[in-house]
Amino acid sequence: MTDRPDTANITHRGRENRISRTFVTLADTLSPDFDIAEYLNGLTMRCIDLFDVSVAGVLLLGPDKDQAAVAASAHRAELLEMFEAESGNGPCCDCFRTGTAVQCADLQVQPQRWPAFSTAAHGYGFSAVQALPMRRCDQTVGVLSLFSREPGGATREQVNLAQAFADVATIGILQHRMIEAGDRTNEQLQTALTSRVLIEQAKGVLAERGSLSMRDAFDRLRRYARSHNRRLTDLAAAVADGTMDLDKILG
Amino acid sequence: MGNDRRNRLRALLARHDQEGPGSRLRHICALCVKELEVTGAGTTVLSRVDDDGTQHHRGLVHASNAVSTQLEDLQLVVGEGPCVQAFATGGPILVPDLAATYLRWPAFASAAAELGVAAVFSFPLQVGVARLGSLDLYRDRPGPLTPARLADALILADWATAAVIEQVDGHNTSDISWMADPHVEIHQAVGMVKIQLGVTTEVALLRLRGHAFTAGVPITQVAKQVVTRTLRFVPDNEPT
Repeated sequence: MTDRPDTANITHRGRENRISRTFVTLADTLSPDFDIAEYLNGLTMRCIDLFDVSVAGVLLLGPDKDQAAVAASAHRAELLEMFEAESGNGPCCDCFRTGTAVQCADLQVQPQRWPAFSTAAHGYGFSAVQALPMRRCDQTVGVLSLFSREPGGATREQVNLAQAFADVATIGILQHRMIEAGDRTNEQLQTALTSRVLIEQAKGVLAERGSLSMRDAFDRLRRYARSHNRRLTDLAAAVADGTMDLDKILG
Repeated sequence: MGNDRRNRLRALLARHDQEGPGSRLRHICALCVKELEVTGAGTTVLSRVDDDGTQHHRGLVHASNAVSTQLEDLQLVVGEGPCVQAFATGGPILVPDLAATYLRWPAFASAAAELGVAAVFSFPLQVGVARLGSLDLYRDRPGPLTPARLADALILADWATAAVIEQVDGHNTSDISWMADPHVEIHQAVGMVKIQLGVTTEVALLRLRGHAFTAGVPITQVAKQVVTRTLRFVPDNEPT
């Protein structure tokens, strides 16, 4: 009898530590080798570790809306089939569409709510489902879903914690996307702006050498690039820095 | 409270969601003028050409009036000023009284004053470590931005950044025609002078600048003369 409180304390502290570490891990989406599949997978594993559920899955919509990532703690194929079976009518769809949590403690009780999904879930031995939105402000990017073989599913407290995980993950993912887009934009601008300068300089060079208008100079440049399969920017750079035989273009 | 502010601004901006490239930035500039009580707003996209950050390629995205256009250009031509510094350091540069900055930025301060600028507030367009340009506000009378307006400006700068990213990222980046290059003719003139004098790009640019300085006219005017062939550079002589 006197052992139990200590054991319970240690277990409680251990769980608290795992919860804290989960938040830290979810917040860190900034490392250069960030991998979304690994990240989402980690989230599902933490969920089954900490909550009274059998399987956890994440469905995440990509930045281009036609891409999606799916992660699962286990039974990924089954989860995928259940997502498919929803066909617009199911807990994950409802969750995604409304941006609010959708739960069913016992799928047997109301099979008419989501007929196709319930059949599929029952077939795989799941009785309860809890779908939580991955959402920030008015932007829902995915769904964290928890499946249980027994009716009931995760406790209210656990669901609150799972939602907190989903919220932190959403922020982390959106920040990661923003930063990547920023880096790409930086590079693209660098290239585009430099390219524009070189092309204008090349036009000047050709216009002067060939006594052409700027428009004709550009036409010659572009025509030569096409017929000799050279990138316009590279050709312009060569013309601008004098390493190109201009007669070939003016020809 | 912060969310209210954001939501209010977002609602004002959302009315223009369906328009074409560059228009979002136009509306952000218009919103700056209206909401922040400044006289003009401009956004310039920049990329560094060299490592010491003194040379930039630029694209003028939008300026709400002629003075803003000239202010955007001025800072990059003289190579100093709040916009250049905001871009270099990544923090907002707030100049409530331009007259107090003559020692700091002599060329910029005097030229800006001539345009009728009395206060300037520059905000870098930045996400993570990627710095894309700046949002520059000016007022024709001195005075600071209130804390509330400063908070609004930071939000608008964030959105301007997002708008540039949305415009550029993943799209056909050879088409940056929505970003004006006010110096197209300078680049063309450089090409022409290279051939006329048989010199490098750098020397051609120096000769153009030198002539502009001696003649007391802006380099854009010299460039125009070269491109329209009313001015030729001849080796070893003054231009004819």
